[in-house]
Amino acid sequence: MPTLLEAKNVTKVYAKSQHPSLNNVSFSVTKGEFIAIMGASGSGKTTLLNVLSTIDTPTSGDITINGVNLKNLTDSKAADFRRDNLGFIFQEYLLLDSLTIFENIAVPLTLQKLPPQKIENMIRSLAETFGIDAQLNKYPSELSGGQRQRASALRAIVKHPNILFADEPTGALDSSSATDLLNTLKKSNESLHTTILMVTHDAYAASFADRIMIFKDGCIIKELFKQNGDRRTFYEAITQEIAKLDTER
Amino acid sequence: MNNLSMAFKNLKNNFSFYALYLLSISFVITIFFAFTSFSMNKVMLEKISGDGRVETMCNTISLFLMAFVIFYMSYSNRFFLRRRTKELGIYALLGYRKSTILCLLTVENLLSCFGAFVIGILLGGLFHKGIVFGITKLLDLTVNNSEILFFNLNAMIRTACFIFAIIIILALSNSRFLFKSSLMDLVRFEKNAEKQAKLHVIPSIIGFVSVILGYCIALDILRGGKSVWFTVGFYSVGMLTFILILLGTVLFIASFLPYMVQISKKNRKKFYTETRIITSPGFIYRMRSNSKTLIMLTLLSAATLTVSSVMALSLYYPIAAVSRIAPSEIECRIENESDISAIMEMINRYSSGDDISFLQTNIYKVTSTAKQLPMEYSIGTFKGDADNEKILRNAGFECISYSDYTAILKAQGRQKALEQFTALNSNECIFVRYQPASGKDETGSTYPLLINNTEIPVIVTMTTLDNPISFANSVGTLIVSDNLYHMISENAAPETKVLCVNGNSITGKEELFQALPAYLDGSPYLQGNSHRVHELISLNSSTFLLIGFLVVLFFIATGSILYFNNISAIADSKSDYDILTKMGYTNKKIKKIIRKQAITFFSIPFLFGLADCIFATLIYKTALMQNLLENSIVLYVPTILAIIITLIIYLIYYCMTVHTCCKMVLKK
Repeated sequence: MPTLLEAKNVTKVYAKSQHPSLNNVSFSVTKGEFIAIMGASGSGKTTLLNVLSTIDTPTSGDITINGVNLKNLTDSKAADFRRDNLGFIFQEYLLLDSLTIFENIAVPLTLQKLPPQKIENMIRSLAETFGIDAQLNKYPSELSGGQRQRASALRAIVKHPNILFADEPTGALDSSSATDLLNTLKKSNESLHTTILMVTHDAYAASFADRIMIFKDGCIIKELFKQNGDRRTFYEAITQEIAKLDTER
Repeated sequence: MNNLSMAFKNLKNNFSFYALYLLSISFVITIFFAFTSFSMNKVMLEKISGDGRVETMCNTISLFLMAFVIFYMSYSNRFFLRRRTKELGIYALLGYRKSTILCLLTVENLLSCFGAFVIGILLGGLFHKGIVFGITKLLDLTVNNSEILFFNLNAMIRTACFIFAIIIILALSNSRFLFKSSLMDLVRFEKNAEKQAKLHVIPSIIGFVSVILGYCIALDILRGGKSVWFTVGFYSVGMLTFILILLGTVLFIASFLPYMVQISKKNRKKFYTETRIITSPGFIYRMRSNSKTLIMLTLLSAATLTVSSVMALSLYYPIAAVSRIAPSEIECRIENESDISAIMEMINRYSSGDDISFLQTNIYKVTSTAKQLPMEYSIGTFKGDADNEKILRNAGFECISYSDYTAILKAQGRQKALEQFTALNSNECIFVRYQPASGKDETGSTYPLLINNTEIPVIVTMTTLDNPISFANSVGTLIVSDNLYHMISENAAPETKVLCVNGNSITGKEELFQALPAYLDGSPYLQGNSHRVHELISLNSSTFLLIGFLVVLFFIATGSILYFNNISAIADSKSDYDILTKMGYTNKKIKKIIRKQAITFFSIPFLFGLADCIFATLIYKTALMQNLLENSIVLYVPTILAIIITLIIYLIYYCMTVHTCCKMVLKK
């Protein structure tokens, strides 16, 4: 599989901080991978997500996504890049309260200037596949947390982004809703070949990924791979590794 | 940390947040203090009001002003309270009693109002001085400036007492809010603010139909005598129109507009664009909790625009009409031949200019046997039809010669009017109309004039509104050829002899005009152009000034409320803009969305207010003002000016709002 994202010696130092939030981080992601990023609070997970998604800029190092070096992007080019290549899911859902679920999902497509008929077809077919077609005409405030997060995931998936960034997507969900969402992400990864980078604290959520990068003090200290495709075995491996890291603190 | 130091810290840390609040209440207090100082300025009131009229108006307007200041400050206070509800909830969570929180809010209000009071007194004093200076210059009054106090102590005490009363009102309103809200309400208040919209078809249709019907009835006034305004009755139709437009405005904004935006979403081609997909649903969403504010602002805006437009028209129109009411600089009747030399001598005493022309015109009253005569023929001949019922005139045409007519127009400097006339044949005449014709005028009509018991028919070749002599001295003026005039003069004595005095060197010589009535025994036939203009300005300036105070206050309130409202909406949806940025919206596109959202909220009150103002002004002009001048766009220049000024004020507020909203949302 071709390399989609490559980070080389990425460092991020905030002005008021003595320690770098990211310290010389290098890794690559191939197309269609599902990667989970784990680590304690303040380990640099969200900073990594921010610099990878052009929301923030690294102090040094290079990030290339789909052949584009993010360093060279101006503000408006970065906006265009996000529009064409990236999708986002956040812990707080961040749906637009004034828009229906249908309209929320339509926003990234209108930004790509797709024809109205195509927008409607894409949303309806995706909503049917992921089982939220009954909620399309509702407003976010009329839905449960799990339904909102699934709508948020669909909004990210619908434009077929090159990479989908998910920041603690299950953080505010109950276990059943969290499983639903993770299955949605897995389905999107498998059937639509969406590349996913998911930040999470939760070993259960991480077990849906193919690879896990564990962060500590701004560095990748360990990588875990799903060996035989079995999620349960992978979950156990992750919990063991986390327990090991906890005792080393 | 006590309440005072906490209040200080809160104000200091949130200075940019409070700056506009402080600025706007300072403005309001500036106007209030300037107005109070003016209404307590005995020196000025003695000069401009002899009959207590201005004092009565001051008292009435001061009531309006007080009610308005209370409303405005309550609104601002509520806005800031809403924005801080969560913070107050945290205080409560930390163990602050509600009475302590109320005390903190009151201390903050006291500090803000004290700041606004100091600024208001300084600016208000300056503003008051400026007004006094303006009026003395405008009315040419002699006022000893040292007698006009910069800080009128009584006005300061009244302003301070009033502000103190407002602080108590605000404290009461805050206590009601705090004690009514539970801790959960306080913490979650901002989240609960918006509710789902319910779009109703029937109120939307009623709103649309009412507005259209109201405007159609207003337009019907242009049909003149046949319109419902005159056939049914002015006040009943006026009341109906007012109710229709009021009801229509409320339903149009609350139901029709959101409904139409909802319908417009069906136009998929237009809706699925990067801006529209955010702004259209955003508008419907905002209307859920803001429609009442928007309706209130629209009515306020309509009132402000209408008052300023009617005020401008009421000042300008009578002044423009002076060219017809008193076309000569000085005009009077000659009772004795000796009057002429006496008046000439008096004028020469006050002016040494050699450009003065003295023209005597003899006016002959001639009756006609025509079956259909113009209304000017018999106007003012019976009680109830004359301005001054003590001096009724006899029915008839009042004839002057073509040569006299052109000579007077020339002396009055009306070259443009002169160019439209050509010499008359013996059987031709020009008829001077009192009012512009609404349909067909008298041109082509033949009037048989009874001269020495012989009927001599004359044809009206044209009608004119360029009367050479004031209406006090001649109505139903007929300009006849010099030959015919000669024939008339040989057979009868003139009805009146009128002396017209013109010349630049006597223009605006008020002292000369003051001296003339003494000689003419207060004759009602004495008329003067610049004197009349001066008289109109003196009579009306105080009224306009006082209404001007209200208009300025209305503007500040409307603009500031719109500003607060937009800032509040943007602050509430800050996270929405954050997600849009992450989705790939550029700063330029987000600015466009903000501009669109703000312009919608600014344009609804302005456009509605503008439409209401246009129709109200039309009714006022057509039905309530004497129509002496031809309809011309020039007459509406002051109204257009008033509208342009309003537009500029709205634009300034709009730019300020967009700037602040963008600053809040966009990251550098």
